[in-house]
Amino acid sequence: MVLLSLKVMIKVIFFIFSLFLHSNAYSESTVKAGDSLIWDSENKSYTATGSVEFSNDTFIAFSEKMIAKYVEKEGKELFTIVELFENVRIELKDEIFQGDYAIYTRNDNTIKLTGDVSIQSPTRMLTGHELIADIDNNKRILNSANDESLVEVLLENNANN
Amino acid sequence: MSKFFRENVFNILIFLLLSGQAFMYYYDNRPSSQVFSQKSMSVENFSSIVLSKSGLTKIGSEKLHKINEDNFFLQGKSYLENNEYKIYGEDISINLNEDISHSTKSVQVINSMGTLDAKGFRNIDSEGKIYFDGIVIFKSHD
Repeated sequence: MVLLSLKVMIKVIFFIFSLFLHSNAYSESTVKAGDSLIWDSENKSYTATGSVEFSNDTFIAFSEKMIAKYVEKEGKELFTIVELFENVRIELKDEIFQGDYAIYTRNDNTIKLTGDVSIQSPTRMLTGHELIADIDNNKRILNSANDESLVEVLLENNANN
Repeated sequence: MSKFFRENVFNILIFLLLSGQAFMYYYDNRPSSQVFSQKSMSVENFSSIVLSKSGLTKIGSEKLHKINEDNFFLQGKSYLENNEYKIYGEDISINLNEDISHSTKSVQVINSMGTLDAKGFRNIDSEGKIYFDGIVIFKSHD
């Protein structure tokens, strides 16, 4: 009898835990546009213009224009690729990325910036031509204008180190 | 002659009264094409279903004005609902021929991705595009 009730309890805990995981998998994103927004249901995209702000549970991005593409998955629509154009500024925890163009890919959770790129943290600021930010692995790759010199910066959780 | 009138004065009087009543009844109940036409131009608390490119779209409003065969104006709080979206707004114009609906008043759109608030919209159904003007806020449940 005790064993049976224990099994039921475990099942209930697993059920609640799976619900929690599911709710985390569908976190909220917000798009704000100052001028206009176009929802293109045929090409499955949103195009926003004028002081655009895109935010999710990881970062906040600002730009003049944004094109966000989505797919339908399990009856829901998910942003898969977000492109940002002109005066791009991305705030990720205590880092600020800036550039002319950025593309965020949901699948590998990376942000790639091009143009006059800069990466600013509490302790330093680096500039270059291209920045690839791997959010999951906390890894930044900054390329300079000439491809021969490559700068890789590994960030520690503690910015003072 | 006067004897005839004297003897039938009541019959004549009754005949005239009945004729008058028949005349009044006819004019009171005669169908008026003008009244019928006005009723078709404006309907209150209206809801209906139209077939568009997005499929069947349910439309409704506090008051519907039929401008002509293709153009309607949904006055007051209005909505358009189909499988792809639910548009809740005010004073929405619809052109059935071109599959276009638009409004310059505040609008809220709910789709399977989230909720969008804007100052106005222009829905070109044939292109599958909805244009939102002014400050737009879209919150998705990613």
